[in-house]
Amino acid sequence: MPAERPQKHGIEGRASLLDLMPQQEEAARRRLAELVESVAARRPPTTSFSRLWILGSLQAKVTCAYLAYWLRSRWADADERERLKSETHLKAALELLGTMGYLRGAVMKLGQMLATFPDALPDEFARLLPALHFEAPPMHYAMVREVFLDEFGKEPHELFESFEREAFAAASLGQVHRARLRSGELVAVKIQYPGIARTIEADLKNLRLLMQPMRLGEDWDNVVAKLAEVERVLLAETDYLAEARFAQEVGNSFTPEDDIVIPRVYPDYSTRRVLTTEHLEGVHLEEFLAGNPSQELCDRYTHLLTVATLRALYRTRCLLADPNPGNYIFMPDGRLGLVDFGCTRRLTEEEWQFQCEVEEALLRRDEEEMERLIVKSSLYDSAEQMGRERLELIGTVIRWQLEPWLTDGLFDFGDPDFFRRGMDAMVGVTRKGFMRGMPVHIWTTRFILGARGIVYRLKGRCDFQAIYRRESGRNMAAECAETRRSGRTAHVAMPPPPPGEGRGEGADVGLGE
Amino acid sequence: MRISEQAKQLCRARILEKAAELFAARGFDQTTTRDIALAAGVAAGTMFNYFPSKETMAMTMVNEALARGREEFLTRLEGSESLEEELFLLIGTELRRLRPLRPFLGPVLERSLSPFPRKSVCPEGETARQEHLECVRQIMQRHGFSAPREDVAGTIYWSLYLGILAFWTGDDSENQEASRALIDYAIRTFVQMISGNVQGGPHAR
Repeated sequence: MPAERPQKHGIEGRASLLDLMPQQEEAARRRLAELVESVAARRPPTTSFSRLWILGSLQAKVTCAYLAYWLRSRWADADERERLKSETHLKAALELLGTMGYLRGAVMKLGQMLATFPDALPDEFARLLPALHFEAPPMHYAMVREVFLDEFGKEPHELFESFEREAFAAASLGQVHRARLRSGELVAVKIQYPGIARTIEADLKNLRLLMQPMRLGEDWDNVVAKLAEVERVLLAETDYLAEARFAQEVGNSFTPEDDIVIPRVYPDYSTRRVLTTEHLEGVHLEEFLAGNPSQELCDRYTHLLTVATLRALYRTRCLLADPNPGNYIFMPDGRLGLVDFGCTRRLTEEEWQFQCEVEEALLRRDEEEMERLIVKSSLYDSAEQMGRERLELIGTVIRWQLEPWLTDGLFDFGDPDFFRRGMDAMVGVTRKGFMRGMPVHIWTTRFILGARGIVYRLKGRCDFQAIYRRESGRNMAAECAETRRSGRTAHVAMPPPPPGEGRGEGADVGLGE
Repeated sequence: MRISEQAKQLCRARILEKAAELFAARGFDQTTTRDIALAAGVAAGTMFNYFPSKETMAMTMVNEALARGREEFLTRLEGSESLEEELFLLIGTELRRLRPLRPFLGPVLERSLSPFPRKSVCPEGETARQEHLECVRQIMQRHGFSAPREDVAGTIYWSLYLGILAFWTGDDSENQEASRALIDYAIRTFVQMISGNVQGGPHAR
C-alpha cells in the first residue's frame, strides 16, 4: 500500500477533509475537520513503515473523519461544556488510534467501510469485508533466521532441504514461506512476528482507554467484556501448537470424497511460533476470479465453502472466525483448501445451547420465541427494556443472516439485493452504536461478514438447506410436521452432537452486533 | 621463575570463568574481587595483574562474546542481504553470543558503555564501541554508504544500539522476542534516516 505522506496542511487540508465528511451541520463539520486534521497531520512514530497504516494517509483521514463523526453524534445533545470535554477525549482517542500496531489496520478498514457506505457498490463493499483481518508487519529473511535459531536451534536451510527467502503469503500474525522437506514434500511454513502477543495486549489496552470516555453508559461493561473476549481469542491464536491440534481435529471430520482439504501438520517442524504444514497447490480468491471461472465452478466452490464452514461448526462447534480470504485455496483440481485455523472460537456449552434454541425457533418460524431470543442475546430482560428501535434493527440483521436457512433450493449468495440488505442492516446497527450483546457474537458476525463477502464475490449459489440438513443431521420437514402436530412452541434443547456424527444446529447466527 | 605464556592464558581464562559463575549466581554488584580471587585460587595481587577491576573482567567477557558474534555473523552472510538485514543479522548474532552473560549485564553495560561524559572511561567499553561501529561502517560501505568515523549517523546509530542493549538486558519475554521487534524497528528507522527513504524498505509490500 502506498505510504502516502500528509501533503496538505491547514486550510487546504481541512477543505479536502470537509469534502469527505457527511454533509450535515456546517459548524460541527468544520470543528471536526479541524480536530481530525490537527491530529492526522502529525505523523505517528511508525509512519511509513511497510504495511502499517498511516494516520496521515488519505484513506486514514477519511476513516478518522467518519469515526469522529460517528463518535460525535453520541454527544449531539450535550451542552457546550460537555461537548468540549468530549472533543478533548475524541482528540486523545484519535491520537491513540494512531499508535496501535496491530489492530490499527482492522480499525481503519472498519471505519473505511462505514465511510464508503451507502455510496459504495455492493462489489466494493464485498471486497472490503474480507479485508477486516489483522496483519503483522512483514519480516525480512534475517529476522526469519533468528526466529528459527530460537525455535529450533537451527537455521531454515539446516532444517529444510530448501527454503524460500521471500514469503508467499501474509498471515494474520506473521507470514508464510514455501519450503521443501528433506523427504521431498513441499510445505508451507508459517512464522510468527516476534512479540506480537505484547503488541496485541498493548493495542487492546489502548482500545479500552480509547473507548472509556465515549459515554457508552449502560453498554460499557459489555464493551469491556467484548474487548476481553477479543484479547483472549487473539492471544490464543499466537500458540501455533494449539492451532495444529485444532487443524487436525477439523481435518478428521473430512473424508477425501468431500473435496475439502485440510493440510497435514508436520509436528517435528512446528513450535509455538512456527507452524509447518503440507503446501496446497492453488490460488487465492482474487487470482481465482481473475481467471473468469464458470458459474458452475463458482457454484461448486460456494457449495464447498458452505460444507466446510458448517461442518467445522457442527462437528467441532467451532467458528472459523478469521475472514482473511487467504485462508481459502482454490485448488486446480476443483478442491477447496482450508489453510488457517488460528482464529477459531469454540462455542461453550451455554452458547451452544443458545444456538440450539435459536435454530428451533427459526425452523418453527416461531416469531414470538425469536423475539425473546433476540432480546436475550442483546443481554436485556425484556423487549420493553431493549426498546423498539434496537429490537427492530437487530432483528433485521439476524433475519438477514438466517435467510438461507429458510430458503428452499438454490440460494443465490451473489444477489446484490440480498447482499445490500444485509450490509444496510449491519451499518444501521453499527451507526446507532447498538453494540451490546454476547461476546461470542463478535466472532459469529466476523465469520458471517467474511464468508458472505467471499461467496458474494464468487457470485456463487448452493442448496444451502440441503447442505445444512446433511451437516447438522436434522430433518427440517419432520420437525415442522412435529411442531404442527403437537402445536408446541416451547424450545427443546438438543443434546450435543455425538463424536464423529454431523449433528448440530444454529450455525452462523450473529446476534446483537 | 617466569610463568609461561600458556600458564598465563590458563590463569586468565580461569579467573574469567569463575567471575562469570559468581556474577551469574550472585549478581554483579554483590560479587567482590576477593570472592573471584578465592574461587579462581589466585592471590588478589596476582589477579589485579590480569584485571584491574571486576568491570574490566565483565567487559572482557562481553568483548570476547561480541567478537565471536561478529565472526559468526560474517560466516552467516549469504551476500544477498539488504542493509537492514545485514544490520539485523549482526546485532542478532552478537546478542545470541552475549545471551549467557545476560543475567548480570545490566549494571556492567550501564557503567562501561554510558554515553555521558565520565571521569574515567572504561577502556574495554571503548573497545566494544569501536569494534562494533567499525563492523557497522564496513556493512554500510558494502551497501554504498560512506561512513566517516564519529559522524552524526554513527552517533545516532550508537544511541539506537545502546537503547537496544538496555532494553534487551531487561527483556523478560520468551527468547527476548520483544527485543527482536525493537531491533527491527530501530534498524528500519536508522536505514530510512540515512537513505532519506520514507517509503519503507525493500521488503515493504
